This record gives sequence, C-alpha cells and structure tokens, in this order.
Amino acid sequence: MTNHTPGRNCLIVAVLLLAALFGACKPSGEESSSHPPVVVFKHSKLFGDPRPLAQLLAEFERANPGVRVRAETLPAASDAQHQYYATNLAAGAADFDVFALDVIWVAEFARAGWLRDLSHLLPAAEREAFFRGPIEAVTWEGRAFALPWFMDAGVLYYRKDLLDKNHLAPPRTWDELLHAARTVTRTESGVHGFIWQGKQYEGLVCNALEYLWSHGGEVLRNGQVVLDSAANRAALTFMRELLTSGVTPEFVTTLTEEPAREIFGRGAALFLRNWPYAWRLFEQQGSAVRGKVGVSALPHFIGGKSAATLGGWQLGVNRHSRNPQAAERLAQYLTSPAAQKVLALAYGYNPPRRALYEDPELLAAQPFFAELRAVYERARPRPVTPQYVRLSQVLQAEFSGALAGLKSPSQALIDAQRQAEAILR
Amino acid sequence: MTREHPGLFLAPAAVTLGAVALFPALAVLWLSLEERSPLLAAARFVGFDNYTRLIADARFWNALANTVYFSAVSVALEVLLGLLVALLLARAFRGRALLYSIILLPWAIPTVVSARLWEWLYNADYGVLNYLLGTHVNWLGSPGWALHAAILMDVWKATPFVALLLIAGLQTIPRELYQAAALDGAGAWTTFRRITLPLLVPLLLVVLVFRTIDAFRVFDAIYVLTGGGPANSTETVSIYAYKVLFQALEFGYGSAVAVSVLAVVALLTAVYARLLRGSMT
Repeated sequence: MTNHTPGRNCLIVAVLLLAALFGACKPSGEESSSHPPVVVFKHSKLFGDPRPLAQLLAEFERANPGVRVRAETLPAASDAQHQYYATNLAAGAADFDVFALDVIWVAEFARAGWLRDLSHLLPAAEREAFFRGPIEAVTWEGRAFALPWFMDAGVLYYRKDLLDKNHLAPPRTWDELLHAARTVTRTESGVHGFIWQGKQYEGLVCNALEYLWSHGGEVLRNGQVVLDSAANRAALTFMRELLTSGVTPEFVTTLTEEPAREIFGRGAALFLRNWPYAWRLFEQQGSAVRGKVGVSALPHFIGGKSAATLGGWQLGVNRHSRNPQAAERLAQYLTSPAAQKVLALAYGYNPPRRALYEDPELLAAQPFFAELRAVYERARPRPVTPQYVRLSQVLQAEFSGALAGLKSPSQALIDAQRQAEAILR
Repeated sequence: MTREHPGLFLAPAAVTLGAVALFPALAVLWLSLEERSPLLAAARFVGFDNYTRLIADARFWNALANTVYFSAVSVALEVLLGLLVALLLARAFRGRALLYSIILLPWAIPTVVSARLWEWLYNADYGVLNYLLGTHVNWLGSPGWALHAAILMDVWKATPFVALLLIAGLQTIPRELYQAAALDGAGAWTTFRRITLPLLVPLLLVVLVFRTIDAFRVFDAIYVLTGGGPANSTETVSIYAYKVLFQALEFGYGSAVAVSVLAVVALLTAVYARLLRGSMT
C-alpha cells in the first residue's frame, strides 16, 4: 500500500486540526481494562417502533455477560451508507463492529479486505437453512463474508377483482400478462395495464434482470460479460414492446418504487411489479384496493423460468473489530431464527430462512408469506462483482436508452457489453 | 501597533480563505492526479492518466454537451425575460414592494423543494401541465423533453433574480438622460437602445457571470427531477461527478471530472471579466 502520499497527509493534518478546533472527541468502541467490551452495531433505521430491536439487543447482553452492545443508526439512503462504510473501512476504522450491508456491496467489501471471513458460521447445514439467493450474495470466491439478515425480491401484484370479472387467471407467462392487460384495459377506463420501475436508477436494473433471467439470459457467466445474447435481446425487446403496445404507459420511464406503488394503490393499474413491502400498504385501513390484491411470482417467457431480483440486508463483521468474537456472536444472534421471527413480526421485514415461512404465528400475521416462499426460492442476486456500482451505472443508462426508444434493444446490449467489458477487464 | 505590520491584519482573512477555499481546491486538483479508490485499495500518483481517460470518455462529453446546452439556453432565456420584467416593473406604481416580494418567491424556495413541486407539475399521469395543455407528454421520461423540462424550471427559478438585479440597475440611470432624449424626440425603442441598454451592459455582464457559473454547476434540480435519466439525457457534468465520486467512489477520476467543471467556469469567468473591463472603459 502506498498510502503516504502528501495529499493524504495534508488531509489528515487538516482533519486533525478541524477535530481539535471543534473539540470533536468521537466515542469509540475501544476495549479497555476498566470497561466491558462494547460491540457497536451500525444499521439503517428500521421503520417502526424501535423497542423490539432494543429488546433483542438487551437479550443478547443478558446471554453474553460482560458484553455491551451499542446500536447506531445511519441515514436510510443507500448511497450515503455505502459512502460512509467505504471511507471509514478504507481508513481502517474500528469504531463499529457489526454492520448491515446492502446485498450488492458484499463482493466489493470482501475484495477490499474489510470483512471478516464468516464461513465457519455457515456450515453446509446452516447454508441449507437459508434461501439460495442470499447465500450466493454473501459468497465471494468461495467464502462467506456476511450473514443474510433480511431479504427482498421482486413480485407481481395483481387485481384479483378485475381478473375475476374477466374470467382470467393470474398470468404465468409474459404473454398471458399481455393478454390479460389488453383484455381488462379495453373495458376498464382509467386503469393502466402493467406498472413497474423504469426510471434510470438502480431499480431499473432490478426490473430488467427479471426479464433477462426469465428468458434464460444473464449479465455475467463465470466472470465473463454475456450481455449481448439472443435471450437478452428478446427480453429487452419485450420490455420496449410493453411501452409501445400501451400495456405499460410510457411514463414508466419516470417511475421508482413509491410512485408505482401509489398508482396501483389508488386502483389505477391491473398489474404492478414491486417489492413485498407494498403488500402491507395495500391491505391497510382506507386503502382503495384493500382485499382486491393478489401476489404471485413474476411471469416468465415460454421456455424460461420465473425470476426475481434479490434485495435485502446482510450482517458483516468489520475486519478491524477489536471484539471479533463478540461481534460474530452478535451477527449470528441477530440472524438466528428466533431473532428473525421477532423482526419479521415487528417490522414486516422478510427473513431469509426457509423454515420461518412455515411458522404458524408468522403466517397468521403475514398471510402472504406462503406466496412469498416460492418467489424467494428463485430470488437471484444481481451480478456478484466488486465493480457492481460501475456496471450498474452502465446498465441503467443502456436499458433506459432502449426503453425510451433512443436506441434499439440490440444496440443497447452491444453498447452495454462493450462498456461492461472495459470495466471488468 | 506600527505601520510595518499590515499583514497582521490580513492574516485572519487570509487563513480563513486559505482553509475554506484554497486548500480544498488544491486538494481536489491533487486528487485528480491520483488513482484513488477505497474499494480497490488504490492510492497512487498517476499524473494525467485521469485526464486522458476523461478525453476518451463518451459519457463525459455527453454530460458536458448537456451542461453547455442547459446553461446556454437557460441563461439566455433568463436574461431576456429578466430584462423584460425589469423594464415593466422599474417604473413607480402602487404596491410595487409587494409585487417584488411575490416575484422573488421562486428564487427564495430551496431548489430541492421546487424540484419536487415541478416533478408533480410534470407528472405525465396526473400532472397539472398535461392537464392544462390537454396533452399526454412524458415530460421527464423522454430524452427529447427531459432536459427542456429542467431548463424551464431553472428559468422559472432564476428569472426573478435577474429581474431584481436589473431593476436595481435601471434605477441608477439618471432621469435627466431620458428627459433629454424625450426633448430630442427619441422614441421608446431608440431610448432603450441608445440609453438604457448601454448603461445596463456592465450589470448585464455581472448577471451573466453569476447565472452562467450557477447554471454550469447545476446539480440539485436535475438530481431530483430525473437523476440524470432517461438514458443519461439530463446527466450534467456535476451529476456525473457525483456518480463517479460518491456512488462508484472513484475519488481520483471523479476529481478530474470536477476539475473540468472548475476549468470551464474559470475560463468563462475570464472571458466575462474581459468583456466587463471593455464595457467599463
């Protein structure tokens, strides 16, 4: 490492001066003889009552005498967290021990050497207890660097009442979805066929991958870029056709999760692709679509298999942690079946453990967990590469160009292939 | 205190400016000569490699073209409209103070807030703009419209600022000049062209400097409206720099992108300063 460039030294001096100026004395999780070890747990704010999480942490302290846990929250914006962790970990910060990682950061952080190898906490039997997608996502070069905490995957929401009225079944293939959307929108005024997330941002990549995968296409295979393929061309062409045929309104190119959820939620769409979080909001008091919404796996192309993009959070242990044993125990505890059940009940976050989808208490509280299980079995991580952010920026721009009709889907894939190869070279 | 140490009195200002302006600028300049990324554990001096990469980077040129187009069109419109509004409002009438404050509202609202507001106005599904025009235009979601939508918002926001500055300028023009022109039988257009405009030129140049620099660095409005999409059609240099710096965490290359903004802004300022000096003499 050639870290001692003058620029860096200047920066350090400046930061120290500023720190001295403002008397900034940062509390740290340092172990000292007179205090019990403190394990600092960093995560983004959980939406809801903070008490269930606090109770879990208190229970951990009781079970581990002599260890204290301090939870610290970060802003919800994923970019801000990414930046926070990367800059601190690169500087060798040891003032947090356990932290929550977005599913797309694991390879990046593992390659940088910031995460403790947690493979010993995930023996074969334990790996089996989790869905495959999250396990793939936490694995880098054959080793596990984090433990799956919550998971997410793209699902299809549909209006049961509108399908029933037209004697239609929930679509299993994309063609069936097209047919159903055309049939229903012909008679229902003010109802869009199919709404999803088409704005140029991370969510667009999540959406597009589901079409590519459900046609047998991929982005990377054995580390090689395989974007420019017949399957991907057909899948991206279909996405563009959703817009040109009017089944999906053209303004889908401005939609992120919430605006899309809002349109479906006020009853103005037949189908919606979104994450599981939307379910609770559709079923709450006063919702215009309460009791009329069904959930299923996303459709697939004929000959392909339904696919869902994996999202969610994992717990990693800082390689520079001063209390690695206690930190590992905390990560293990928070990802245990018992803790994940508590968190699922309290916050509605979906556990990555298979067995919990058969838990009667959870099923009673979240009836649609039964539907979710099949989706989660198929959830796949986005390309696992340390260069994911740059790759994603290319995919966002090129997919967006194809959707907006600025270039043909095949040209977009050729251009994406070239740029992705340059990044991953 | 003797007269020999005037530097002592300048020291606090010099230190402050050095710490908050000079040091960060130099640090960015230095960073732009490094390959530095926490993710790649890279921190090494690479000379002008980042700049050669910049020159070959199609996405950078696209961002630069977007930025130049955005700045040129929005500033031209703002100055023209601002001048028009200023000429209309410069005369004395009842309720003028109240009108001025109302006009300044768009300028007073934080950009992120007004960008959210415009996002709703532009909403293709239920936005007011499509409703009023009776159209179904995909304002923010089509590559042909999105940058223009951003320009319109910028014009809405900055025109009042331009108008207010020009009103102040108009009020400094001696009335005698207008009276003399009237005696000589000059019409409204001649008066404007021969008296008002020449005397406003220095101020117009100042306005141009402010607005161009501001427009060239545009970030917040576009970040909220479109995030740079669709298909990078609204990605400005500042947005590109943000994505490289704070999403991809390529601090070296991102700094090179940022320095390019600085270079263009410095160049523009130099040109304006020259024009300004010319107009004063």
